[in-house]
Amino acid sequence: MEEDEFFGEKTFQHHCSEFIKHSQQIGDGWEWKSSKDCSDGYMCKTHFQIKSGTVVSNPGIYNGVQTCLPVEEVLEVPLDDFEVTQTAMASEVIKYEYHVLYSSSYQVPVLYFRASFLDGRPLALKDIWEGVHECYQTRLLQGPWDTITQQEHPILGQPFFVLHPCKTNEFMTPILKNAQKINRNINYITSWLSIVGPVVGLNLPLSYGKATSQDEVHC
Amino acid sequence: MAEEPETMLQLPSTPAAGGEGLTDVSPETATPEPPSSAAVSPGTEEPSGDTKKKIDILLKAVGDTPIMKTKKWAVERTRTIQGLIDFIKKFLKLVASEQLFIYVNQSFAPSPDQEVGTLYECFGSDGKLVLHYCKSQAWG
Repeated sequence: MEEDEFFGEKTFQHHCSEFIKHSQQIGDGWEWKSSKDCSDGYMCKTHFQIKSGTVVSNPGIYNGVQTCLPVEEVLEVPLDDFEVTQTAMASEVIKYEYHVLYSSSYQVPVLYFRASFLDGRPLALKDIWEGVHECYQTRLLQGPWDTITQQEHPILGQPFFVLHPCKTNEFMTPILKNAQKINRNINYITSWLSIVGPVVGLNLPLSYGKATSQDEVHC
Repeated sequence: MAEEPETMLQLPSTPAAGGEGLTDVSPETATPEPPSSAAVSPGTEEPSGDTKKKIDILLKAVGDTPIMKTKKWAVERTRTIQGLIDFIKKFLKLVASEQLFIYVNQSFAPSPDQEVGTLYECFGSDGKLVLHYCKSQAWG
């Protein structure tokens, strides 16, 4: 088993494929896209969120906090209970795209992402930073350009934001070593994405955490 | 939910009465709550979620992360992963720039907003939830 020392492109593709299998089971929307010559590819997911708080009619309620509601939640809220309905409906739908690519220079997966309004206007990095979970903000504020950079997507050639991969080995190694110690096969992509995803607003359903140890999924 | 880290650090092994946040679990003083009339989930010995307000968590260090002197904690179900991370960081006296990750199943990091009660339902066994934690300079 070479996964412990060397996370090569084939291993990357294998783990992505296992990850996507579970995604399909739970309807999580991840897909594999191959490059034109099919030599490599990436995993991607698109989701839409309503970003409220851009027009604040009741500052007291928001307290300056931006709330991102998935589309389904907004539609279910009864009108009379939701005082800021007008604000929510005046807000915009944001399209988030997440791409997982393999970096041959770092030999780890890398998370590319971008966000835009439905009319195609891209979200600025400032807005993306504001969407970052507060637990990561301290570190980000100390050196934002160390963490999120803007780069050209290696396959699509379009500008994306990238979560810098140079520390990936550092936080993945303890998990891998531990898994090796207890003879457990883990999915590198699942573990890695569960860590980096929340930094940029991507949260994996809990069932991914069980998928590697048993087939039955009940959460 | 009020955090009282100072109180936690001063606590010997006596659990605080009715405090919010985390209390130390001592085997001889832990009192199981009486089962309610609500339906008991099939296949488990635990009463259904509503009756037990706190769940038992066992914290295990991974890698070079310092080991907590107290590993067993009774935590309110609604405590989030983020809340737990903040607590452990204070307990271990980590600096703000150090990241702490918490894992279930030794491999999966739940998102920071996830409540421990939900994690217990999915990943708990033998009446407790085992969480591994690991510190890292994750970014940059």
